[in-house]
Amino acid sequence: MNSSPVLSVKNLGVEVGTGAGARPVLSDVSFDLAPREIVGIIGASGSGKTVLARALVNWIDPPLRISSGSVEYKSQNILDLAGGRMRLLRREIAYVGANPMGALDPTLPVGRQIVEKLSAVVPGIDPSEARKRVIDLLGAVRIPSPRLRFDEYPSQFSGGMMQRALIVDALISNPAFLVADNVTQPLDVTVAAQVLRLMRELTERFDTAVVFVSSSLPTVKEAADQVLVLSEGRIVERNTPQRLIDAPQHPYTLQLISQIPKIWTSEAVAVPRTPNAARPTISIRDATRTYRVRKRGTFAAHSEVRAVRNVTFDVMPGENFGVVGESGCGKSTLMRLLSRLEFPDSGSVICDGQDLSKLRGKMLLKFRRDFQLVLQDPFNSLPPRTSIGAILEDPLRVHGMRNAKEIRDRVLAVMAEVELPANLYDELPLGLSAGQRQRVNVARAMVLEPKVLIMDETLSSLDQTEQFRLLALFEKLQAQHGLTYVFISHDLAMVRRVCNRVAVMYLGEVVEIADNERLFFDPGHPYTKALLSAVPTLEERRYKPEDCLLEGEPPSPIDLPPGCSFASRCPHAFDRCHAESPTLTVRNHGELAACFLVERQGPAPPHDGQKTGRNIPMEARFA
Amino acid sequence: MFIISFLVRRLAQGALIIFLVTLLIFTLLRVVPGDPVRLMAGGMAPEALIEQIAKEMGLRDPVLVQFGRYMSGVVRGDLGQSFVRPASGASTGGSSFGDATRGERADVLTLIGETLPMTLQLAFLAIVFAMLFSFLVGIPAGLSPGRWPDKVAFYVSSIFISLPGFWLGIVLALLLSVKLGWLPAIGYKGFAYTILPAIVLAVELSPVLIRTLTGSISSAMMMPFIAVGRVRGLSQRRIIFAHALRNASVPLLNLLGIQISGLLGGVLVIEFIFDYPGLGLLTINAVLQRDFPLIQGIAIVTSVIFVLINIAVDLIATLIDPRLEY
Repeated sequence: MNSSPVLSVKNLGVEVGTGAGARPVLSDVSFDLAPREIVGIIGASGSGKTVLARALVNWIDPPLRISSGSVEYKSQNILDLAGGRMRLLRREIAYVGANPMGALDPTLPVGRQIVEKLSAVVPGIDPSEARKRVIDLLGAVRIPSPRLRFDEYPSQFSGGMMQRALIVDALISNPAFLVADNVTQPLDVTVAAQVLRLMRELTERFDTAVVFVSSSLPTVKEAADQVLVLSEGRIVERNTPQRLIDAPQHPYTLQLISQIPKIWTSEAVAVPRTPNAARPTISIRDATRTYRVRKRGTFAAHSEVRAVRNVTFDVMPGENFGVVGESGCGKSTLMRLLSRLEFPDSGSVICDGQDLSKLRGKMLLKFRRDFQLVLQDPFNSLPPRTSIGAILEDPLRVHGMRNAKEIRDRVLAVMAEVELPANLYDELPLGLSAGQRQRVNVARAMVLEPKVLIMDETLSSLDQTEQFRLLALFEKLQAQHGLTYVFISHDLAMVRRVCNRVAVMYLGEVVEIADNERLFFDPGHPYTKALLSAVPTLEERRYKPEDCLLEGEPPSPIDLPPGCSFASRCPHAFDRCHAESPTLTVRNHGELAACFLVERQGPAPPHDGQKTGRNIPMEARFA
Repeated sequence: MFIISFLVRRLAQGALIIFLVTLLIFTLLRVVPGDPVRLMAGGMAPEALIEQIAKEMGLRDPVLVQFGRYMSGVVRGDLGQSFVRPASGASTGGSSFGDATRGERADVLTLIGETLPMTLQLAFLAIVFAMLFSFLVGIPAGLSPGRWPDKVAFYVSSIFISLPGFWLGIVLALLLSVKLGWLPAIGYKGFAYTILPAIVLAVELSPVLIRTLTGSISSAMMMPFIAVGRVRGLSQRRIIFAHALRNASVPLLNLLGIQISGLLGGVLVIEFIFDYPGLGLLTINAVLQRDFPLIQGIAIVTSVIFVLINIAVDLIATLIDPRLEY
């Protein structure tokens, strides 16, 4: 550590707006980045971390404005460099952002755009040499068949693939330092873990220093040598990750740490088992949904995307049922089946004893009233030019309420219930925070007094603090109205906190259903273990990524290989897994897992104790 | 492989569209009042003779039978013969009656073949002018929304869209050919005769092109990969010409497809004003003379052109943006 820092930030301040209305976003930020060092920057949303990340690469656009300080690279302040001279430095200063899907031109092949960047920052490079370098590096980030992938378009890449391609794009010119702004945030946990590992590997190989910005302390802990804690635009604490976690000094750091969900430690909330009930509220029986898509590169052939395959489960009244799985596993299709936006090709969805596909007229309206949906995206799910009051009144009118005063009273009552101030009644959703918008979404569902709320990734766009508040709200509403919740989510930590029972989906199938405790402490399916091994947490992991997490992404739901769909990524796969597909097998207590390695245990025979291993093996088939 | 499957599908759809258009035009022409034989034979021809000619020409058969006969010719490339025009050129009909000229009536295909290239030349030149002008005005406007180039584009297109084509045609002819003598205006004796009508058409075309181009460029410049492109080290020139324009060109192309189709209608007036010997002038005369075969022929040819242009536009759009492939 004798060399001088690569990057030196001194008293950096950034403001938004001009003149008297200017408000500081960053103030007095100073730190050095040593060669090969990885500095983590952590803070909740709104703490200014993205602005800081952008300031480091001289990407501050109006209304943001540098108010003081400097960012020094090679003893010049890069914030003073204009257009052309800055552009030459882009070779040495690289940036990867949080939105991989928007970062490249959708109309041009990915490889060509990386070559374009390389020849822009290294003028005069031989095109075939550039192409070779890109293909090599695409291979190095484990993009399968990089030669073919080179000529594919951004829309043909998954989010994880795209993020890898962008890491290639950033590192291709062998930069001196890399700013990684929340790179793992949009990715699934297992993919995020892989991307993180790759980034470490590559930056070591190229001797690149990294500024790693993230809102997830567990992620930063894994990545960084030094951590800076950013709160309201100021650095409030800096330390090595381990010491920061063991002995946090600043109250804000303490708060950040306390908000990280507990999964295995005793502090974790104990979620009660599902209450027993005679009839399930929702019963989905062997439902399958297949989409037909035109096959690329053929004359008129179609291929089948099997989005949901033979899914069977019950949701009991008053239960919090979780459906977890990574993107592309069929969660959203399942949501569409449950909310009767689509019908299954085979099988049935039965709600309150009635087959959804047979509902018509009045009965259908009644179903719509009882089963409400709360969507993921707080920004696109509200009409931007309608006032909040009008948004909330609409469902009441649809369902036949006519008296204007009653409607208004009901809407105000619901707004109070979800803790939205009444003066928002005439406001547009424009100025609301993501959390408030989600409250409007919840209120829109609650206004009809439903029995069931289906939450499709409702919390995933919110930060921890806001998630906590909304979960508390859900709990309160459930206690008051006896609601049943179905949480569809990729966030295992959230599911651990609230769900009584959890179904794990992989490639359209339910691979495991278990009670909360059992799922997290003794999962039956290797995919569940892989998910658990990748959960961002500060705790000691029960399942080590080295044992459970394999390279690669789920195969495409088109043309599924025979056998177990997880076999291609499973560390325990053996011959049988590639030949036949395991069905859900009963473990004890009615927990189910679809794996040949599950110790087959029938439900404990009556009058027999819990003598493990003595039960009669039996396969429960759901057909 | 995609292109072949695309073309087969779209051409099959196109054939159906053309068939329906033909059926519609054919039926409508037979339903409207006015007997073409009376026009051909002349007002003085005896009623019996008219009936006889009509029978010989098959005009008294049921409409569907006539249509079948006509279509069987069309698929063999025979659009029939004009009722009115002789092969020699001059228009017949009117008061004189001479059946001897029947065999020498002009082929519809030949008539169209003579005039269509003229109209295509005019349309092509008009589009070149319109595109050049729109790019010149629209790109700077799209790159600086709300600032002066945007305002210039707005005023220019507002003024252009308010100018009626026939008025502009007459004024420009007066100014540029009569007063200044720069460009020839009436008739056709060489390429220079195309320029003035093309300018008038371009003025009509460009306002919509400018607005679309301005809007799609400014929204393309808002896309995240543009800002990220700068951080990745791409030059402003490359970002605009290789990425923003590329992404903005798809809406422009779609619009152009519609505009070109509309243009073929627009030439009607302009060709009439400038006495330009194109398809428009031919159409007007054919309608005035109730020349059924000619009207049908023109309708089929123009609908073929519409269909082909739209297929071409969709194909190019898919080549630019592969996400449109379906």
